[in-house]
Amino acid sequence: MGRSHKVSPDDLAAGLLKGDRRAAARMITLVEDQDERANEMMKLVFPHTGRSMIIGITGAGGSGKSTLIDHLIGRFRGMDKKVGVVAVDPSSPFSGGALLGDRVRFQSHSLDEGVYIRSMGARGYLGGLARATTDVVRIMEAMGNEVIIIETLGAGQDEIDVIHVAQTCLLVLTPGMGDDIQAMKAGIMEIADIIVLNKFDLDGATQCLRSLETVIHTGMSEDKGWTPRVVPTIACAAKSSDVQGVDELVQNIMDHQAYLHRSKKIEEVRFKRIEQELGLVFKDEVEKVVFAGLKGTGKKRQYIESIRAGKNDPYSVVEEVLATFLKEEILE
Amino acid sequence: MAKKKIKVIISKVGLDGHDRGAKVVASLLREAGMEVVYLGMYQTPQSIVKAAVEEDADVIGVSYLSGEHLVFTPLIVEEMKKHGLDDVLLVAGGSFPPEDIPAMKDMGIDEVFRGGSLTGDIVKYIEMQAGGQED
Amino acid sequence: MSGKEVSAIQAQENREVNWDDYLQAYYEKPTSFRTWSGYETKELYTPKDRAGENYDENIGDAGQYPFTRGIHRNMFRGRYWTRREVVGLGSPADTHERAAYCFKNGGTGLNTIADVTYEMGLDPDHPWAQHEVGLTGVNIAHIKDMETLIGDIPLDKVSWSLITASTAAAATMAQYVAVARNKGYDISRLRGSVQNDPIHFRYCGFRPACPLDLSIKLGSDVMEFCTREMPKWYYTTVNMYDLREQGITAPQEIAYGLGIAGCYIDELIRRGLDIDAFAPRFTFYVSCHIDILEEIAKIRAARRMWAKLMKEKYGAKDPRSMQFRFAVHTAGCSLVPQQPLNNLVRIAYEALAAVLAGVQSLHCCSYDEPMCLPTEKGHLQALRTQQIIAYETGVTNVADPLGGSYYIESLTDKMEEEAIKFMKEVEDVGGMEEAIRTEWLDRRFEQEAVKRQKELDQTEKLVVGVNIFTDEPEKTTPLGVQRISNLSTKAQIEGVRKLKMSRDMNKLREAINKLREDAAEGRNTIPAMIEATQALATTSELLGTVREVYGYSYDPMNIVESPFK
Repeated sequence: MGRSHKVSPDDLAAGLLKGDRRAAARMITLVEDQDERANEMMKLVFPHTGRSMIIGITGAGGSGKSTLIDHLIGRFRGMDKKVGVVAVDPSSPFSGGALLGDRVRFQSHSLDEGVYIRSMGARGYLGGLARATTDVVRIMEAMGNEVIIIETLGAGQDEIDVIHVAQTCLLVLTPGMGDDIQAMKAGIMEIADIIVLNKFDLDGATQCLRSLETVIHTGMSEDKGWTPRVVPTIACAAKSSDVQGVDELVQNIMDHQAYLHRSKKIEEVRFKRIEQELGLVFKDEVEKVVFAGLKGTGKKRQYIESIRAGKNDPYSVVEEVLATFLKEEILE
Repeated sequence: MAKKKIKVIISKVGLDGHDRGAKVVASLLREAGMEVVYLGMYQTPQSIVKAAVEEDADVIGVSYLSGEHLVFTPLIVEEMKKHGLDDVLLVAGGSFPPEDIPAMKDMGIDEVFRGGSLTGDIVKYIEMQAGGQED
Repeated sequence: MSGKEVSAIQAQENREVNWDDYLQAYYEKPTSFRTWSGYETKELYTPKDRAGENYDENIGDAGQYPFTRGIHRNMFRGRYWTRREVVGLGSPADTHERAAYCFKNGGTGLNTIADVTYEMGLDPDHPWAQHEVGLTGVNIAHIKDMETLIGDIPLDKVSWSLITASTAAAATMAQYVAVARNKGYDISRLRGSVQNDPIHFRYCGFRPACPLDLSIKLGSDVMEFCTREMPKWYYTTVNMYDLREQGITAPQEIAYGLGIAGCYIDELIRRGLDIDAFAPRFTFYVSCHIDILEEIAKIRAARRMWAKLMKEKYGAKDPRSMQFRFAVHTAGCSLVPQQPLNNLVRIAYEALAAVLAGVQSLHCCSYDEPMCLPTEKGHLQALRTQQIIAYETGVTNVADPLGGSYYIESLTDKMEEEAIKFMKEVEDVGGMEEAIRTEWLDRRFEQEAVKRQKELDQTEKLVVGVNIFTDEPEKTTPLGVQRISNLSTKAQIEGVRKLKMSRDMNKLREAINKLREDAAEGRNTIPAMIEATQALATTSELLGTVREVYGYSYDPMNIVESPFK
């Protein structure tokens, strides 16, 4: 019952590269669960990645970003591009369960074989959300999706890290919610390439637009080649004819992508992505390997008890463990 | 290793608009620690199964409150088979006469939870059938 | 020990009664003294609780403003409430047959309900309709279907409630009037009602068919048309019942129901109608749930609130405008499939509450509501439930028999107070339309529904058969199961296909163009819908034409194209 994973990494990888959705889905699960076969699998997958357009979209709940993404998917499908979507939703802090409701907003694509949607709860991923999402995006690339959209709330540090996987980062704000100020504090403004001012039909929209443009022109972006743009949109309307700004948004996304490639900034972006990935994988693997020696010995518990009793501290413990580990490695 | 999370798809099918129970079950399964993907209304057997494949779901929960349970169940089960989802648990909730329950089970439903079901029973059943088994 | 624990033990030791527990059961007392909606009660209410009562101002006699005690002075002495069982299954002919059966067995008002496909505005041959035609009501695709539904029933001798709630109510009205005129009836003399409350229906599904602006437009077209042409017709039954079925409390039911009513009233006034010209025909659909005293208080409060609203906010002068006219549907969500015969008892109590509260028209659920459509026997039992109350219990002797009870008057005040709080909350988020548009109301319904389930899970609320005195699940339904014949469904689909192939397309096109023009010019669309119906336009064609004018897709499900392009 349930997700039976008797299939080998080789078979899964082979299936994935052929575009088999079930293989992709299972691989993603293995990665989420930090299955021991995951790394082997990712090795097979990795060479087939690195060529997709990766868009990150972050915004508070109620900002309309899911509806916006629904429109974007449609536009990219109109360009005959396959689209993969990673929808990261918040988990309930009390039980770790997640109600992943974004698919409800993606109804127009519920039968499109050229769209692959995966919901991820921001659950207690051992390696952190960023590690899991990084691998998931790689899997979606290898599957053949030319465009990958990562959607997050941008609520915590974890989710901000997720956005570093993306090449073009969108921040979705709405007028009058004061979240333009909040976002500045959270550090998200610094990474946004495009700020989407959604629900532009609400009161105070124009003022909000102006104040955002002012903030941007006070030069908080480190990248001198691209000034973040503000795009007003109305994503959610009862009639499709009342939806506004989506074409402009797509144009701006393509403009940013063109800029990245023209200026060779894309290489820097790719470099940073790999650097982050390396760091995340390194941290995970080192932790696993180093603590492997302690497994089953009860030593970890002893260390923690001794720290609690005031007889030791975390820094000395780590030094000691590392020293032992390295000594053993060298002796080997 | 992280404890395996049970992933559940909750969906309506067809035109039926009674979604109170589906939403309540989705929320409460979430509180019980499961990852729930809520699909909402106007789903077809195809769109439900597509989501189940992509999300690598352990469980599909479908909600019937307009007498459509005998019509849609075989279509959903057929679609599941077509996509190799034989090992995915299929449960149904809502309103249907007890006389139809054996037929629904014959068609491929693993268990039914009609109105008046208590959350604990649903959670227990799913955890037992689909919960954290490692190979 | 909780009731659940006792019953679990009982189940286990079934053949051996544990007499040691007898005294414990004998001395058992309730663990909660709250009403169903969660309000604390005192153990006794006395005149002190009513000190300073101003009877004439706050309560009034039955038939006197603010109508707390009832809208007629003599209530049931003047006329029994209408016994109006909801009927709808299979084909128009099937539904006609069951409606006639109910009348034969003592029903006094006709009540037919649309199925999900009709409410969506889909013809039976629509790809999304094919699996679901006739499962929960009747689909009327064109004038011939309406003719079959009506059959030999003399429209000037009956009162007919047509339950189409969504924007499709406009089509229903057009179809009914078209047939009535063909049969030579003077429609100004016809009695009945059409539910016509598309705003609330978005909470029962049907959102693709009921965008807010179109709901207000078509809903108000029906209201305006009936106000002008059918003075004996009730052109709306604002449906608080369905809202209550979402899991909300009694005062919330009134608050949100009155809020939705306000949307229609404001529109009609904007169109230039005088409040007293239409308000007397404004009606409501109200739930009666299992806490019978709270439900009675709720309804008395609703009457008082409506009267004040009409007089103070809208300046009504005609007392009939201030009368809260309502039908009751006993609460479907109070019934459970476990031990189904218990539902007969619940329904009886709820029906009693409705009568004690002074209802004008009553539908009793069939006991098998949580499982299937009513069988003939189920419908019969529902009718008998009403008849026993009417003819045996004596509660009809006196108007508002519970009026003056210290508890009931206090609880009525409490219901009003709480409802006003909930209405203020809606005002604070920007008004009802805003609360609907931003899905604020959706979130409220979802929160309340989760609360209700947790109450059951944690045995804060007790339901016999569910969390106390449970049994092995039964395998059969006591009075049988109603099935919908495949033949009926196929005949419906074939019928509309044949009709579409055999029409005078020129005549039809002309009529559809007129409808499109009227919609585009902001005129009332019902007259043109009637003409188009006469020209054999189908339900989806009537509604799709207006949808397009308003910028929506012809087909709510976005599959079928308009044949009139």
